[in-house]
Amino acid sequence: MGEEVKGEFEPRIIGFTCNWCTYAAADLAGTARMKYPPNIRLIRQMCSGRVDPLFVLKVFLRGADGVFIGGCHPGECHYMTGNLSARRRYSMMKKLLESVGIDPKRLRMEWISASEGIKFSDTVKEFTAQIKGLGPGPFRHIETEGKEQK
Amino acid sequence: MVKGDMYLAQASDEEILKQGESGGAVTALLKFALDSGVVDAVLGVKKRDGNNRYDAVLDLITDPEKVIDCAGSLHCVSLNIARNVKEYLGGAKQMKIAVLCKPCDARAIIEIAKRKQINRDNLLLIGLNCTGTLPPVVAKEMLISEYEVDPNEVVMEDIEGGELIVTLADGTKIAKDLLELEKKGYGRRDNCRRCNVNIPTMADIACGKWGVKEGEKKTFTEVCSDKGAEFIDNAIKTGVIKVEPPGEDAIEERKRKDREAIELSNKCEAEDLKELREISLDDRLAYWLHMFDRCIKCFSCRDACPICYCKKCFLEPDRGYVKGGEVPPDRMFHLTRLAHDGDSCVNCGQCQDACPAEIPLTRLYLMLNIKLSPMFDYVSGMDVEQKPPLIAAKDEEASIDDIDIFLVKGEAGEVVPQQ
Ligand SMILES: Cc1cc2nc3c(=O)[nH]c(=O)nc-3n(C[C@H](O)[C@H](O)[C@H](O)COP(=O)(O)OP(=O)(O)OC[C@H]3O[C@@H](n4cnc5c(N)ncnc54)[C@H](O)[C@@H]3O)c2cc1C
Ligand code: SF4
Ligand code: SF4
Ligand code: SF4
Ligand code: FES
Repeated sequence: MGEEVKGEFEPRIIGFTCNWCTYAAADLAGTARMKYPPNIRLIRQMCSGRVDPLFVLKVFLRGADGVFIGGCHPGECHYMTGNLSARRRYSMMKKLLESVGIDPKRLRMEWISASEGIKFSDTVKEFTAQIKGLGPGPFRHIETEGKEQK
Repeated sequence: MVKGDMYLAQASDEEILKQGESGGAVTALLKFALDSGVVDAVLGVKKRDGNNRYDAVLDLITDPEKVIDCAGSLHCVSLNIARNVKEYLGGAKQMKIAVLCKPCDARAIIEIAKRKQINRDNLLLIGLNCTGTLPPVVAKEMLISEYEVDPNEVVMEDIEGGELIVTLADGTKIAKDLLELEKKGYGRRDNCRRCNVNIPTMADIACGKWGVKEGEKKTFTEVCSDKGAEFIDNAIKTGVIKVEPPGEDAIEERKRKDREAIELSNKCEAEDLKELREISLDDRLAYWLHMFDRCIKCFSCRDACPICYCKKCFLEPDRGYVKGGEVPPDRMFHLTRLAHDGDSCVNCGQCQDACPAEIPLTRLYLMLNIKLSPMFDYVSGMDVEQKPPLIAAKDEEASIDDIDIFLVKGEAGEVVPQQ
């Protein structure tokens, strides 16, 4: 697991994951040795409600090929409505991306509870495959400093 | 008088009746508002120095005798009324103001009020029907080259039945096809072409000429709130305006004209956004990046937009998204504004008017807003009690698991939002 096959496109996916659920599910998937592609790098948030749409935009502009948001199931958010707000923002962001011309399929959100290690690994597998299909993101050629490589 | 009542109104004062665009009712009501102490001031729109239709200014009037200086409709101005109330009149937190507003102004005021930066309770919103304003400099050019008249000879403009009709001092009327003019780059402001809210029912009263018989000096007035109803009742009691019921045919006529104007704007919207909608995602992104890279980072769009609400702006370098000293700015500049304002944009066009790089910003905002509106059952600027969609999550949503619920709803209801 993990070696980049030369020539094959390996997506860079950023996953904003809630500490109480999806992040724990990722941990569970790891300790249970469930296989999932190494393309996703997780950024732990205290709640999916903390995922500012600007994080998603910045990450895309800095070269991510896909962005994933994972939160607690509705009714299970530790802060009551953080995930409900997150769903509204995610829905807005899908349309925002589409409006400027970034494929909205590059953004995905799922509810994954702490016990759903399998759902986590399946989602990452699926999403990675989908991003592979879409090819490199529109700002892939940009280095982390934000300077465009012309 | 109750919300929803309609009537034809006329100023009782002869001079006001003469100076008024329609029946002078608006001027008479404003004067009454000051006289009776309902408001401390009136925020009106008038010609600078009293004679230039192409250079209008906002006037904060406290002397009831001065209200008449604002009588008449100026079509070649679109002052940033909402932003002025917020910025320079302290959000009307310290004084009661009667504000003259087109639908976009009223909607912008309501959006700012939701964000607690304007006190809606202190405002009396006097709405004027509107089907478009013209950019003043281009309008003058148009009058010279297309109408072949001296712009200073013009005493009235009017949009009616798809034509832009100009009246000269000697009474001559010249009409030209509006869409033909717009093909040549004249006519209304770009955003106005696509504006489909013509009657400001979100204000306290909505006034216009639709429904008034040709040649009659009356103002068709609709009561749109309890505050408006009480105000009008008192005005009628003191006799400053005379009113009569409009009759079924007048109400029907007004509805028909509104419908026609909405159809026209829908047609323009379809035309203006057609290409952007049809091209591939890659081409669309290339188009907007090309546009964004024309930006000289003057911050005018941010400073003009009534919806831009952050007290500490995310476009400033210390917020960590857009580096200082870089032109064109990081694309986060544009996308941040779009993320913050797209759901509540009222298509007022102030951002685009202000942009020296002529970036067609309202096309981007409208394209997004049209998609968000059915998703969240939200038409911006209509109801001060309705929270902006991104902060409006309801407890019931906790029992809905479907992550795509709003997206599905959006697909199903993708029609142009109407009032
Ligand atoms: C740009 C514009 C377009 C209009 N289009 C239509 C239309 O398509 N259909 C329709 O039925 N009615 C329309 N109206 C309304 C109509 O022209 C009259 O304003 C209305 O009937 C009230 O008439 P009145 O005699 O009572 O107003 P008046 O007593 O003449 O008072 C007019 C008031 O309008 C204000 N005003 C003038 N220009 C502006 C401006 N640009 N922005 C904000 N306030 C302004 C002044 O401050 C003044 O107080 C439009 C008005 C404007 C300003
Ligand atoms: S955006 Fe609409 S309400 Fe505002 S000036 Fe244009 S046509 Fe009138
Ligand atoms: S984004 Fe532009 S059109 Fe929309 S509300 Fe702000 S200034 Fe008006
Ligand atoms: S007004 Fe135009 S040029 Fe100025 S910052 Fe906004 S987009 Fe850039
Ligand atoms: S705590 Fe997990 S989404 Fe809010």
